[in-house]
Amino acid sequence: MRISIVEDEKSLADIIKKGLEEEGYVVDVAYNGEDGLFMAENEPSDLIILDIMLPIIDGMTILKRIRKAGVKTPVLMLTAKDTIMDKVSGLDSGADDYLTKPFLFDELLARIRALLRRNSDVKTSIIEIGDLIVDMATHEVKRGGKNISLSAKEYALVEYMALNKNKVLSRTSLTEHLYDQDFDLDSNVIDVFINRIRNKIDRGFYTKLIYTVRGAGYMLRG
Amino acid sequence: MLSSIKAKIITFYIAILFVILSVLGVLLYLSLSKIVYDAVDSGLLSRAKSLATLVDSDNSKTEFEFSDEIMWEYNSPKPKSFFQIRRLDGFTLEKSASLKDSELPFSGKEPRTYFKTILLNGTPTRLVNFHAPDEIENMSKNSGNGLIIQCAENIQNQLNLLKRYRLILSLSILSIMLISASGGFIISRKALAPVKDISDTVDKISEANLSERINVENVSKELQTLASSFNRTFDSLERSFNRQRQFAADASHELRTPLSVIMSQSEIVLRKERSLEEYKNALTAVMEAARMMSKIVRKLLTIARLGADKVDLKIENINLSGIIRESVNLLRPLAEQKGISINILATEPLVICGDRAALLELFTNLIDNAIKYNVPQGKTNISIKKETGFIVAEIKDTGIGIPEEDLDKVLDRFYQVDKSRSKESGGTGLGLSICNEIAKLHGGRIEIKSKLGEGTIVTIYLKGNGSEAK
Repeated sequence: MRISIVEDEKSLADIIKKGLEEEGYVVDVAYNGEDGLFMAENEPSDLIILDIMLPIIDGMTILKRIRKAGVKTPVLMLTAKDTIMDKVSGLDSGADDYLTKPFLFDELLARIRALLRRNSDVKTSIIEIGDLIVDMATHEVKRGGKNISLSAKEYALVEYMALNKNKVLSRTSLTEHLYDQDFDLDSNVIDVFINRIRNKIDRGFYTKLIYTVRGAGYMLRG
Repeated sequence: MLSSIKAKIITFYIAILFVILSVLGVLLYLSLSKIVYDAVDSGLLSRAKSLATLVDSDNSKTEFEFSDEIMWEYNSPKPKSFFQIRRLDGFTLEKSASLKDSELPFSGKEPRTYFKTILLNGTPTRLVNFHAPDEIENMSKNSGNGLIIQCAENIQNQLNLLKRYRLILSLSILSIMLISASGGFIISRKALAPVKDISDTVDKISEANLSERINVENVSKELQTLASSFNRTFDSLERSFNRQRQFAADASHELRTPLSVIMSQSEIVLRKERSLEEYKNALTAVMEAARMMSKIVRKLLTIARLGADKVDLKIENINLSGIIRESVNLLRPLAEQKGISINILATEPLVICGDRAALLELFTNLIDNAIKYNVPQGKTNISIKKETGFIVAEIKDTGIGIPEEDLDKVLDRFYQVDKSRSKESGGTGLGLSICNEIAKLHGGRIEIKSKLGEGTIVTIYLKGNGSEAK
C-alpha cells in the first residue's frame, strides 16, 4: 500500500515515513504545499496524510483542488489545528479523517488501516479468502490454520491483493502501490514477488488462490 | 447588616423620625397634663373660695354654716372631695367628714396659695392651700389670726386619662415608625433597584460572555457613570482575557508539532530493537524538538510578560546610539559569517527614557533579522534621527524581502513568511511580535516596508523625550 505524506516539519515527516515503512507501507513525502499538490495529483497513492499549515500552498487548498480534479484517494488530515471548526471545515472540504497533533503512532496506524479498508469490501482488519486469512492489524497471514512467514514486501503485496480480492490487478498498478516514486516501473520485479508468495501460499494446497490473468495481471480469489 | 446602604438609610431615617416624634409626644403630653391640672386646680380654688365665704366669723369666734347640700359633696359614701380649715398656726378648726381620721398635710411653710399632688390614703389627690380671703381680712387683723382653707380632690380619673393618653401617644409613635420603616424600605429598594439591575447584569457576565455590557441608556442618569465605568472595566478585562486565551491557543498550537516529533520518534523507535546509530538519531531529533519547544516557551513568556499591563521595566536615560552599537557588536560574528557589512549612521547621541534590556532585545532581534534574511555579501544600514516627538531608527537591508501580502501579518504572533526557511534558522515566528510589544511599551511603533528581492526597511518609532514611556 502506498501512502503520501505532505508535512512541512521535516523531522516529523521523516519519522512517520520510517514508521510506516517498517509497517510495510510504501511512503512518498512532500515538504511543502506545491510539491504535495503535484504529488497528490500525479502519483498513484492509496492514502494521503495532509498537514493544513504548509508553505506555498496550504493543505485545505490542496484538498479542495484535488477533490475538484476528481482524485478520490482517502485523505487523513494531520494537523495542530484542533478546534471543532477546523475539523468541520477539513471534513467538509473532502477529508476522510482528521487527527490532531500530538498523536499516538498506533492511533495513526489504526486510522490508516480503517481508511484503506473503506475503499474495499472488507470492513474489519481480518480478510478471508477461502481458507487464507490476512490480519492487517498484526500482519499475520495464515492458510489452513498454519502461519505463513512473509517478508515486509511480500506481506504488502498479499495485503494489497487481499484488499482487492476477486479483482484483476495489473503489474503497473501493483508496482505503483508497492514502490515509491523513485522506482523504475518497467521492472518485472512484481513477477518475482508473485512467484515467491505463490510458493508460500499455494504450494501444497489443491485449491490455488493466486491466478494469473494473461495479458491483464494477477488476482487473489477464494 | 449595617453595611448595606438600604439598612443605613432606613436606620438613619428611623432614628431621626424617632427623635422628632418623641419630642412631639412629650410636648403633647405635657400640654395636656397642664390643661388637666389647671382645670382641677381652678376647680379646687373656686371651691376653697366658696368655702371661705361661708365662714362666719365673729370677732373671736369662728363659726361655720355649711348647708347639707354643700356638705353632701364632702360626705358621700365614696367621697372624692375633701376640705380642712385650719388656723394660721395649723390648728384644725373643721374638716370634711370625707376625711374621716386622716388629715390633709400641712407644714405651715407653704406659700399663700399653693397647689400640690399628694397621696391621701394611697390615692393620688390634688391639694390646694388657700389663705383666708379678703372679706375676712379685717377680722384676721383684729384677731391677729387668719384661716387656711385646704381643699383636695381625688384625681385618679385624671391620672388614668393621662396614662391612657401616654399609651395612645406611644402606640401611635411606634406604629408611625413601623409604617415609615416599611415605607422607607420600599422606597430605598425602589431607589436601589437600578443598582440591583446593574449588579445582576454584572453577575451574568462571565468568562463565556465577556463581551456582554450594561446598557447605559437604560440606566437612570445618576448611575450612568457607574455603569460606564463598569463597562470600561469589562472592556479591559475582556482585552486581557482574550490576550491570555490567544496566548494559550498560540502556545498549544506551536508546541503541538515539536511534541508530535518527540512522541512519534520515541514511539516508533521503541517498537523494536534498533542499532545504536538509530537510537542516537532518534534522541538527537527528540532533543532538537525539545530545544525548539523550550525556545518557543521562553519567547511566549517574554511576550506574556510584555503584554501584561504592569511590566517590570527599569526606566532610565539611555543613549540609543549606544544600544544600537552594542547590538551590532553582539551580532558581528554572525554578520561576518555571511559577509554582510553593517553601517551605523548616528550623527549625534540621542537619549530616550526606556528599559535597557528591552531596547537591547528589540534592536538585536531586528538587526538579527536584517542579517539572517539578507543575501550573502549584503548590506545593512542603520540610522537614527530625531523627528517631532519621536526618535526614529531605521534598519535597512538588501535581503530577500517580504511578499506584499505578508507585510501586514509579519508583526502577528507566530507568523512566518517562509516556514521551512525560518525553521532552518531556528525562528519561532515570535521575534517581530516581541519587538512590536517593546516599541509599544516605549510609546512607539514599528513600521515595515519591503520589496521582494530588494530588501526590507524596518522603522522603529520611540517616544522622543521618553518621559511618557509607560
